[in-house]
Parts: sequence; structure tokens; C-alpha cells
Amino acid sequence: MSEGKLTRRTLIAGAGVTALAAPVLAQQAGRLIDLGLPGGPSLRPLEPVFPGKGEMIVHRVRPPVLETPMSAFREGVITPNDRMFVRWNWPFPTEIKANEHRVAVGGAVKRAASLTLDEVAAAGEHVSVVAVNQCAGNGRGLSQPRVTGGQWGNGAMGCAKWTGVRVRDVLAKAGGTAPWAKRVRFAGLDVPLTDGAPQFIKSLPMDMAMRDDVLVAWAMNDEPLPILHGFPLRIVVPGWFSTYWVKMLATIEVIDDEEDPSHYMADTYRFPAAPVQPGDKGFPTVPITTMPPRSFITSHADGDTVALGKPLVLEGIAFGGDAALDRVDLVGMGWEIPCTLAPDDLGPYAFRRWWVELPQVAGDFEQVGVRARNVNGAVQPETFVWNPSGYARNVIERITLRAQ
Amino acid sequence: MRALAILPALALLAACDSAPGVSFADASITLPDDPVDLPEGPGREEVLANCTACHSPSTMLQQPKVPREKWEGIAKKMIETYKAPVDETTIPRIVDYMVFVQEQGEAAQ
Ligand code: HEC
Repeated sequence: MSEGKLTRRTLIAGAGVTALAAPVLAQQAGRLIDLGLPGGPSLRPLEPVFPGKGEMIVHRVRPPVLETPMSAFREGVITPNDRMFVRWNWPFPTEIKANEHRVAVGGAVKRAASLTLDEVAAAGEHVSVVAVNQCAGNGRGLSQPRVTGGQWGNGAMGCAKWTGVRVRDVLAKAGGTAPWAKRVRFAGLDVPLTDGAPQFIKSLPMDMAMRDDVLVAWAMNDEPLPILHGFPLRIVVPGWFSTYWVKMLATIEVIDDEEDPSHYMADTYRFPAAPVQPGDKGFPTVPITTMPPRSFITSHADGDTVALGKPLVLEGIAFGGDAALDRVDLVGMGWEIPCTLAPDDLGPYAFRRWWVELPQVAGDFEQVGVRARNVNGAVQPETFVWNPSGYARNVIERITLRAQ
Repeated sequence: MRALAILPALALLAACDSAPGVSFADASITLPDDPVDLPEGPGREEVLANCTACHSPSTMLQQPKVPREKWEGIAKKMIETYKAPVDETTIPRIVDYMVFVQEQGEAAQ
């Protein structure tokens, strides 16, 4: 077993130390937030505060899993770096020397290369794209019946401006890809603690990897990527779930497999090929890839009161997923009203504001929600489409408002 | 309609021909301590010893209530997929603990 890897002895030794610390720390009462997860457990701490982060929902300290509170989405369509959700599967280095970092480009390329950060930055023109970064499991904790996995509310998403060079320009630094190249794999500095455990490796089909807006990015909202978000480089794939947005990029490997056999492509982050029922087994699955449209009311939360007899403005955010947003409707039980969309000035992959003004509140709004549709015609479903891993939730999210 | 909507996408991919230089500085972070909080209960020691090396206990404690078999399946997945060095004779104790903690949690709600 190599240095730094986990053995039963180090494991027990480590646990012994933490066991001593536990009773003391357990008494610290922190601020909590209720995520409204059906059947619970639903309360999460808003502590500890992580360096470089504002108020976040702390699902897990190690490796960090932090969710953005929904209230942050009221502030604007760009999610500031200190509010963007954080999700790591395995531990990662907490210190990185910029001049020592290399990106290895290999596999089915003309000549394998090992690129410095400056070489990556010089690989092509610098491109910025504003895009939603959303975990494939966003909203998993709201699944009914519940499913195991990371128990997110709906805040495992955010929208930022990403700047970098195109993946295809970085591939060109290795002389370009072989004619038989099928996919491009990405891996970062986050590696398993145990020998033989799968590294977090993801791959894109060739046509995606060569797209104009698929980037090796170093900046997030015009700042260097924070470590928690993948310093020094991460992949950006607008319209696709963030499982592909590999952080701390260290390896690019061009492969000739049509289907990638590596664990995080072949065994997990997969979705039933056709709808399934709870308890179904052995059904075919496909890798989770593109995002469907979603929308949220941000001006009000479930259970809020509104003024009876007065006009009411509801506001929120929406995004089209892998295609531009087309429209947003406010939907009640048996009625719907089109909402106004803010100008599309951040592009098709960004959050967009919507609002609607109702002339007069005549009574309670039972189960009111918003429904987004994208330009490809994909629309948020009325009823929740269950899947065993709780991926790609995009059912219409409804709240109830009390008139007073 | 569709073509129109896609146009701003190209405009938005703002590329500058004379790319401004990027300079990369070193980065580091000090992560907060992990409290490793596990409520008292039978099997707690086994869970501490076998299940907290790779992730905080919140990974387990935040799961929705699931039956014993599901916890057995999760323990198996940790061993087989993630190569967790778990002493397999402790699995029944680990499962007992998870079931106990979830029942306590439910009672407290
Ligand atoms: C070798 C490292 C390792 C050890 C030891 C380990 N796990 Fe995990 N565990 C993981 C990884 C990796 C994941 C999935 C990624 C994530 O949650 O970030 C995970 C996820 C989980 C989850 C989330 C649900 C799921 O199915 O993904 C639960 C629950 C869990 N582990 C329970 C346990 C229990 C119980 C033990 C002790 C028997 C244990 N783990 C020991 C690595 C480990």
C-alpha cells in the first residue's frame, strides 16, 4: 500500500483520535436550517464556516459537501463564489503550487504532452461563458420515496461566469487526436484513500469535447478558481450536469472506447433508460448527461403570508438546461399565468430572472409553482419522475402562500 | 425561433483576440475540523472505527430511514466498490447501530 493510503491500522488510529474529540464538540449548538426533506432527517448546520465561503448549508465537512441556501438566489442570477455549492467525493490537496502543477494530455493523441498552467493558458483564445453548474443529485433529498446518497435540497446549483481555453485547443497542444478517438477523459487531483478504489474520472464524447464552449477554465466570476471549486483548472460543460466539470484537472486522456468502462461512467451517475418504479431491478441505464429545464420562486418561501386584497409580485430564477429558456409559467391547481422573462443577456446556459404581477390576492395560493420550458420543447413535469439515484430532479416545485 | 434563441450564445462566448495575460498564484486552504459526531448507541465504536475514515459521519446520519438490508448493502458497497478496509465481522454491529440511530431520530421528530 502506498504512502498516504488507508490501512486498517491508520484508519482505526485516526478514528480513535476523533472519538475522543467527539463528545465535546457534539455539545456545540450551531445554527440550523430545515431543508424540508420528507420524513427527515431535515435539519442541517450552517456551520462550520469554510474559508472563502459565506453562509452555506454544511452537509458534510470531510470531504466537503456544502449547499447554497435558496435565499442566496434572490440576490441575483450570478452566484457569487462564496455562495456556490461545493461537492467532493474524495479528499483533495489543500495546497497547490502553481508552477508545479501539470496537465498530462495523453492517450489517443499525436504526441503526449505535460502542460504547465501557462502553457494551458496559451493554448488558445480566452473564452468566457456564463453557465449553470448543477449537481446531478440536486434535490435528491426531496425524492419520494426517499433514496440514499447525498441528501441535497435544491441548492446544489449556481450560475457563474467561467473563463478559460477550449478543451479542443488544449488537445491541439498534444498534436490533436487520433482518427479512432471516441471520448476524452478528465481526472483531477482528488484521489481515493484506498488502493483499488475508483478515481473520480469522467469522460465526454468527442463531439462534446470539441465544442466551442467546452472549456478548461481557471476563472470563476473573474477570480481564480478557489481550491474548493477546483483550483487551478476545471472542466466546464455548459448544459451538462457538473459531474463532468472535473475539478483540479490533472489528466486529459483520449480513449477509443465508445462507452467508458471507468466506475463513475459505467456504474454510477446513471439514469434509467426508461421510467422505472421503486423496487424495479435490472433495468437498462444511460449515463446522466444534459440538464433539463428548472425554475424556482425565490421571492417567497413555502408557508409565507401575502397581503389579501393587494397586488402581488412573484419573482424567481429559471434556466433551460441544455438549451435556452423559452418560457416560464406560474401554475396553480388548474390555472396558469405566463411570467415575464428578464432580457437574455447572459446567454442560454445562465440563470434568468422571471416575474409575474398578480393584480389582487383573492385568497390563499395552494400549491403554486413555476414551470419552465426550453427552446427544444423540454418542459418541467407536473409529477415527479422517480429514479433510484435521485438524479435530474426537475418536477415543478410548489409552495403554499397564505393570504392575510 | 430556435435559431434566434441560440444566437446570443455565440455573442456570449466573448473571446478576446489579444488575450489578457493570466497569472497563476499558489493556493492553499485550511479546512475546518471535522467534529465526527456520532450519537451514543450500540455499535458506535464499530462505526467510528470502520466508517469515518473517508467521510464525516454526517454521510450516514443524514440518510433517510432505510431497512437493515439497505444498510447491509451500503456497507457492502463501501467494501467492494470503495475498498473500505472494514472488519467484516463488525458489519452486523454497524447495521444495528445505523438502524438504532435512525429509529431514535424518528422518535425525536
Ligand atoms: C474507503 C473509503 C470509505 C470508507 C471507509 C467508507 N466509505 Fe462510505 N462512502 C465512500 C465514498 C467514496 C462514497 C461516495 C461518495 C460520497 O458520498 O462523496 C461513500 C458514500 C457513503 C454513503 C452515502 C450513500 C451512498 O450510498 O453513496 C453512506 C451512507 C456511506 N458511505 C456509509 C458508509 C458506512 C456505513 C461505512 C462503514 C461500513 C463507510 N461508508 C465507510 C467511501 C468510504
